[in-house]
Amino acid sequence: MDPVRLIVRTFSEICVTVGTVIVLFVTYVLFWTGVRADSAMDGELDRLQQRWSTGPVADPKSTAEPGPRAERPKPPAPEPYEDGKPFAVMYIPRFGEGWAKPVLEGTATGTLKKGLGHYSATARLGGSGNFAVAGHRRTYGDPFKDFPKLRSGDAVVLNDGRTWFTYRIDRRPYRTLPADVGVLDPVPEKAGYQGPGRYLTLTTCEPEWGHSHRLIAWAHLDATRPVEHGKPGALHR
Amino acid sequence: MYGWIWRHLPGNAWVRALISLLLVLAIVYVLFQYVFPWAEPLLPFNDVTVDNGSGAAR
Repeated sequence: MDPVRLIVRTFSEICVTVGTVIVLFVTYVLFWTGVRADSAMDGELDRLQQRWSTGPVADPKSTAEPGPRAERPKPPAPEPYEDGKPFAVMYIPRFGEGWAKPVLEGTATGTLKKGLGHYSATARLGGSGNFAVAGHRRTYGDPFKDFPKLRSGDAVVLNDGRTWFTYRIDRRPYRTLPADVGVLDPVPEKAGYQGPGRYLTLTTCEPEWGHSHRLIAWAHLDATRPVEHGKPGALHR
Repeated sequence: MYGWIWRHLPGNAWVRALISLLLVLAIVYVLFQYVFPWAEPLLPFNDVTVDNGSGAAR
């Protein structure tokens, strides 16, 4: 066979092959990671429900009740969060009525594929200090896709199986640099908070498909409610 | 390249077509299961934390 013809043909075949692989990769990133993440998140939610329905019944007095209650009994030391395991469900009505995602302990890459990740060095849910959570904005189910739509007063509701925690967003999402770990401080000053409190920080990437910046949202604990009293008002539309 | 593979597959045209299909499916499976999960973190969509995922940096 003519060697030029062979070279041209082989080269074209390699080009077609590379193009096909690229198309497959785009399909994987845009579509398949979402399919996998949705099923992984559903699995984590199921595990939480399973644990809550079979676990010991919570003592109503042990639920955190912010406020100057003098005779409040000291709650038993809560069990530490297990790395990579879910411990709460987050609801953000602004992101849609059915938006409910599991919150897992830790921010490892593999953990964030299965849900939102709690920065393990930050406060516990509902605790004094800053409870910080990271989530994907794009790929892996796009949990924080609508992050920029958050506005002051929006509810961020969390349920740890015993208590509903209703946080309220305090300002529009804040754009910052990836190294700005000060946004996770127990009292994040850039949010305008003056003194100690029970805060929530959400982080995701900015721009949508990039990694040059981060987008931050801050909230404060507005109300708590034992689960046996039903869903908090923020989830009723 | 593809002509060379086709000529080296055994059987008649139908058997060759079937083997080709299986080969394509196997390659797609390996790509989705092993190659893409390895390549995907090299893209920027995973960086959603302010401390680059170390978790302990404060």
